[in-house]
Amino acid sequence: MIRIKKVDNRPLTLLERLYFTEVAAGMLVTLRHFFRNLFKPSNIVTVSYPEERLPLPGNARLRTRHRLKVRADGTPKCVACYMCQTACPAYCIDITAAEYNDGNPAEKYPRGFDIDLSRCVMCGMCVEACPEDAIAMDTGDIPGGALTREELMMDKRELLRNLPGEPSLLGASTRLHNEWDRKVKKK
Amino acid sequence: MTLPIPDFILLNKGPLVFLGVSFLKVCVVFGAVMGFAALLTLAERKVSALMQDRVGPNRASVFGFALGGLFHPAADGLKLIFKEDFVPRWGDKFLFTLAPLLALFPVLLLFAALPFGNYIDIAGLRINLQIADFNLGVLFILAVSSLAIYGAFLSGWASRNNFALLGSLRAAAQMISYEVALGLTLVGVLMVYGTASLQDIAQAQGELLFGWLPAWGIVYQPFAFLLFLAAAQAENKRTPFDVVEGESEIIGYFLEYSSMRFASFMFSEFIEIIVISMLAATLFFGGWQVPYLQASGFVFPWGTEIPLNHYLVVLLQVGSISVKTVFFSWLLLVIRWTVPRFRFDQVMTLCWKGLLPLALLNILVTGVLIWWLA
Repeated sequence: MIRIKKVDNRPLTLLERLYFTEVAAGMLVTLRHFFRNLFKPSNIVTVSYPEERLPLPGNARLRTRHRLKVRADGTPKCVACYMCQTACPAYCIDITAAEYNDGNPAEKYPRGFDIDLSRCVMCGMCVEACPEDAIAMDTGDIPGGALTREELMMDKRELLRNLPGEPSLLGASTRLHNEWDRKVKKK
Repeated sequence: MTLPIPDFILLNKGPLVFLGVSFLKVCVVFGAVMGFAALLTLAERKVSALMQDRVGPNRASVFGFALGGLFHPAADGLKLIFKEDFVPRWGDKFLFTLAPLLALFPVLLLFAALPFGNYIDIAGLRINLQIADFNLGVLFILAVSSLAIYGAFLSGWASRNNFALLGSLRAAAQMISYEVALGLTLVGVLMVYGTASLQDIAQAQGELLFGWLPAWGIVYQPFAFLLFLAAAQAENKRTPFDVVEGESEIIGYFLEYSSMRFASFMFSEFIEIIVISMLAATLFFGGWQVPYLQASGFVFPWGTEIPLNHYLVVLLQVGSISVKTVFFSWLLLVIRWTVPRFRFDQVMTLCWKGLLPLALLNILVTGVLIWWLA
């Protein structure tokens, strides 16, 4: 819908052209804000960011710091397929693949999984690309400034840390692995 | 009424005493002005923040104590000192260095003529609380403040930069134009009090009109005060009239300046706020006078008398001019953050077609009234 705002283009009256009354009227507005905020600072809308934070919208499209999900037995869901590393436009993911030697049908796992947050553009392409639902950007942690580059380098241990709760069943290899895992444990 | 105490009484005590006392007065005034100007840089940001529902600077801290941003002026000073001191390659290095000094020194020099109290008796000396008691104080202030145009103009010229040169042309045009209007708005006050010495004007404002109304300049010349405020804000090149710099769109004369050279331009602007506030207080709001306070103590029009110690009276007087100066500085900050910027032709129109005829009219009406009442 198009809304039309009518602008009153009448010529200024003499009183308005003298400025002084109009300046005084403007100062009334600003002074009202000044004294209100001086005596009642709760009206100030500023959020002092690192100390106070607004709650993030609990939205599926929210993109915050990455994490790697785990299976029911605590192994990473990642199968080191390099899809995310290939999709990443900022070249910030570095995966070192390794193989399971115990008959695990997932076959591969990442020995190293590094994300360089100083390069990451938080685009979420890695999450989109992942066929196993292994990488997520739902930690609610917004990567900010750091005093050294090393603080912004996340390795596999860091990515697997502070996981939310339940293991996910999504992804073909996860299902295979979980079935195999149950069989192995029964024996 | 107290008599004006000329400085030659001090001179009779010997040139060393005179020099020592003058040096002490300069130190006190210089320290107070510099300290207040530094606080004004913070106040400007805090006042604007509060007016816009923000909190303003509050991060610079010493040992974890921010004290509401009180350390920000010091932090700014440190930052500016350690910035690169840039000189344009093809610029005139001598004039480039001279310009910030020419912007800062005249403004500091103005405090010589501004009285900050009546007199104080210490150790048998009667010290005039004014650095130099000119009998042409107002003219001295107008003359010296117009020297600041050289700073603005040379900085643009010496930068060898077209944008800076255009900025300084705007600055020179605006400052010279408003110099005229500013001078004429003050003529009415000079006519009423019949003197150009600021100490004499301040003393004359201690008298009472109709037996109860303090004879402040605002009572005689309310219209001139409004004109003075507008002209002074323009002379100071602050926001309603800041086409000279126009930091958000156009570029000003100190485009090529960095580090402390830039800071001295910035600082001279803030010191000028103090000058304007002090001048407005001295000419229109009684200067160091507290209503009904005589040299002996309070004498109220209904006959009550409260005798006060001499030092308490001096303290009250110095406190009075300080409070008035702080109030007007705050008012100028509020005006600066309320009114949007004029276009350059509007600035010039307001000066030559608005303020100047009105100031002349004010002089005419004042003259007629004085002639009629006499």
